[in-house]
Amino acid sequence: MNFLTKYLSWIAGGLALALALTFALPSGKVRGFDASGFGTLPILEGGRVKPLDSVARNSLLVIHSRQGFRHAGHNVGPDEWLLDVLFRPQVADQQPIFVIDDLDVLGLIGAKQTTARNYFSFSELGPHLDEIQKQAATAQPIAPQKRTRFQSSVINLFERVFLYYKLRNTLQLAGSPGLAWELQSLGSKDASLRHQDLVQLAHFRILPPTAGAPPEAWQSVGQALTTANMGGPLHPGLTPLAKMNAAYLSNDPAGFNQALADMNGLVNTLKPDALGHSGREVVFNRSQPFFVGMIIFLASFMAACISWVYKPEVLRPTAYALLFSGAIVHTLGLAARIILQGRPPVTNLYSSAVFVGWGVVILGLLVEKMYRKGFGTAMASIFGFASLIVAQHLGEAGDTMEMMRAVLDSNFWLATHVVTITIGYSGTFLAGAIAIAYGVRKHIVAVQDIETDRVLADMAYGIICFALFFSFVGTVLGGIWADQSWGRFWGWDPKENGALLIVLWNAIILHARWAGYVRERGTMVMAIFGNVITALSWFGVNMLGVGLHSYGFMDQAFWALTGFCASQLILMAVTYAPPRFWLPRNDSHA
Amino acid sequence: MIKPLALQTWKFLKSIQLTIVLLALLMALVVLCTLAQVEMGTAGAVNAYMRSFIVWRQFSALPFPVPVFPGAALVGLLLTINLTGKTLELKRTWAKSGLWLIHAGLVVLFAGEFVAGMLQVDTNMSIEVGQTVNYVQSYKSMELAVIDVTDPTWDEVYSIPDSELSRGGAIPIPGTPLTMNVKKYFANAELSNLPAGQTSMATAGVGPGVLVVEQPTVTADGEMNQASAFVEPVAGGRSYGVWLASAAIGAPQSFTHEGHTYLLTMRLRRLYLPYAFTLKQFRHDVYPGTDIPKNFSSLVQVVNPSQKESREVLIYMNQPLRYEGKTFYQASFGKNDTLSVLSVVENPGWLLPYVSCVLVSIGLLVHFAIVLRRSLKRRQDKKEA
Repeated sequence: MNFLTKYLSWIAGGLALALALTFALPSGKVRGFDASGFGTLPILEGGRVKPLDSVARNSLLVIHSRQGFRHAGHNVGPDEWLLDVLFRPQVADQQPIFVIDDLDVLGLIGAKQTTARNYFSFSELGPHLDEIQKQAATAQPIAPQKRTRFQSSVINLFERVFLYYKLRNTLQLAGSPGLAWELQSLGSKDASLRHQDLVQLAHFRILPPTAGAPPEAWQSVGQALTTANMGGPLHPGLTPLAKMNAAYLSNDPAGFNQALADMNGLVNTLKPDALGHSGREVVFNRSQPFFVGMIIFLASFMAACISWVYKPEVLRPTAYALLFSGAIVHTLGLAARIILQGRPPVTNLYSSAVFVGWGVVILGLLVEKMYRKGFGTAMASIFGFASLIVAQHLGEAGDTMEMMRAVLDSNFWLATHVVTITIGYSGTFLAGAIAIAYGVRKHIVAVQDIETDRVLADMAYGIICFALFFSFVGTVLGGIWADQSWGRFWGWDPKENGALLIVLWNAIILHARWAGYVRERGTMVMAIFGNVITALSWFGVNMLGVGLHSYGFMDQAFWALTGFCASQLILMAVTYAPPRFWLPRNDSHA
Repeated sequence: MIKPLALQTWKFLKSIQLTIVLLALLMALVVLCTLAQVEMGTAGAVNAYMRSFIVWRQFSALPFPVPVFPGAALVGLLLTINLTGKTLELKRTWAKSGLWLIHAGLVVLFAGEFVAGMLQVDTNMSIEVGQTVNYVQSYKSMELAVIDVTDPTWDEVYSIPDSELSRGGAIPIPGTPLTMNVKKYFANAELSNLPAGQTSMATAGVGPGVLVVEQPTVTADGEMNQASAFVEPVAGGRSYGVWLASAAIGAPQSFTHEGHTYLLTMRLRRLYLPYAFTLKQFRHDVYPGTDIPKNFSSLVQVVNPSQKESREVLIYMNQPLRYEGKTFYQASFGKNDTLSVLSVVENPGWLLPYVSCVLVSIGLLVHFAIVLRRSLKRRQDKKEA
């Protein structure tokens, strides 16, 4: 065994971690401007203080479905994009960032005749804004479940355009000479009207509360200008902002960076801890641990698959090492979210996907440690990968660290009920994944290997017991939370019913096995059905749009969910079919 | 002859086949109930599927409803018997102690849901800031209230619940000389102006000018039945005319008998309490710069003369008030944040799920620990062999 084969697993795991580190490194200056320093400035938006970088990334995700784009021969990052939108809208307006996929909406803006591309700039959409607004206004009163595809798409486009419109009118009115001019013309004829527009359109509040003001009294530029216009004191943050604006426009990096340093100094005196907090969030944003984790999980899965046909003694440990590195990155990401948000790991649908994936990966690591067949690694990595993809799609709706609605504002219950039930989901999914591996394997391998089959069945059985425990305890804890907050233990609300279904299904599997109605294969088929039930109760109930738990309605996911359930049903049939199913029948030769 | 049959039945009732079938039926019911909530509302679907022994279905071709599925109450009852039988059958050994706890806990859990299904009363209390309220009101049930308002400092309230109204006939009102003749009752109706040329059953009050059209009853959340009735108060052999009382009519109507003035009104059923709540303050906090609610809270003065009690209580999210067997929790608000709606639940079995939770969780832990220990031991033995 040479050096490479001996240490391949260590090398692979180390490389994966090194990859994760490179993401966390800060990027250089943009044309000399300290764009990432600008992105670190704390602002108040959506009820919490966060860095401008988060606003840039989340807005770009909503508008463009990605956190960056390529335009005019170079890559534009989120901070640079936001700088342009805020200070040079005339430049940002030309960048084709609005994705439009719906054919009817494309037809509405007359794009069909020109080209087949789906990206449009704000100035291209300009002539159609009235029409888009009109269509969206007609569709708005219709309940989300009852909207047609076109109506949903046009509302979605309108919301994205409006978000962009608000951003470009937050620090200065787009089309005006800029903030410095605004400060000079305080008290002039139309000033207060412009200030009103700025107040109304502001997407975030950038000016920290002045000394003596309540700690949450951040102000938007419009609010501060209004105060100054009425003879009140000028907010000290306006001057450095105006300088930044002017320097950015006149392409003066040194002046911009100096003004940014002034602004940072001011924030440090007014809100001493805000800059540190937003700096940490910027590092988290930049590292994209869940994206990096996704790549590592995929690599691990591929290594595990290859290991079944080629050099298992080298590739199996490599796959395990990769899974381990992925788990480290995933765990760090999860921990960072917990610290940044000051909340338990699961607070919304997005974080539940991240956490379910994490649970499966950790369980998979343990199972692999116990049985060493490569199946734990393969299933945990592919599931970790899939759940992070789901999370990424869920995260496109905007800020994933949004504030908790009143009834959910309870760290104790979020930490106990939500975490337990989510671990129950993880267990059910991992059991289902192992059952799928069992079913597929049975049809692929040339020689039946009863011992491996038994090991897989043992794993699935153990995990189902585990899942039953957590989903039961989680459901009952949920009942107790409901009793504490709504005065009743059980209300047959869709989400409660979904959780109950998982408990019932796992109980049925175990009883059917104990009574001997199903054996190995039957248990596996039933375990795959557990995937369907878990997916439906996790996402399906949100689509019904009824009940106290329906906080997040989503429509695009409907088809994805249907497809997933159909695929599981097919896999159940595949698993149920005996391995000799494909063999030619002997009696035909007779 | 009888004994073997009884034995057979008992054997069937405690068989594990039955367990699996019942669990599967329960799953099907839960799915059906969840889907039905879109159309029927939560309360309607729960009553149809979960709180009933048989699920009935009205087909348009048949004049009567047909039983289509066992209801969850029946399934739950059988499951409880099945569980009890199974539990009694378990060997009383330490190795089975986990299973014992689990199954006993589940029996308690089912019992809790039965108690809730049979005895839980859901009502609510709407209070405006500064107002004092000494009753809770039903979400759906109506009543015909006859209020003696002769004494300006004290209203004497008599009421006839909708269940009695729907039976019709002459209903004497105890404590008064009045008897109410219910001429016709509509569980849900739409009221409009009576077109020219048509006559109404009513002869007094606003009724003669109103056309009443019966409507099918609604169960969905947030929808209200406009119960209406033509009633004729009779006292001392004298009729005071036929009146139309309806939930759709806002202002109460009144008549006078022997110096007593009675108001007549159809309203959501009220249950009067021996204590009263005064809303001192209602808060609706949002996160800065957003509309996302951060907290709702009601500061309430509880006055209970029989206990000589008068104290302030803050009811807010995840922090309800449990008082005299009822739980008051912050549910809704209105009128520009000056009206607070408290949901009120009375469930004598509210502690049972807590007991069950503890029993089952410990049971599962014990059982899985025993199983794990056994499996580890087997592996150890294998290694040594």
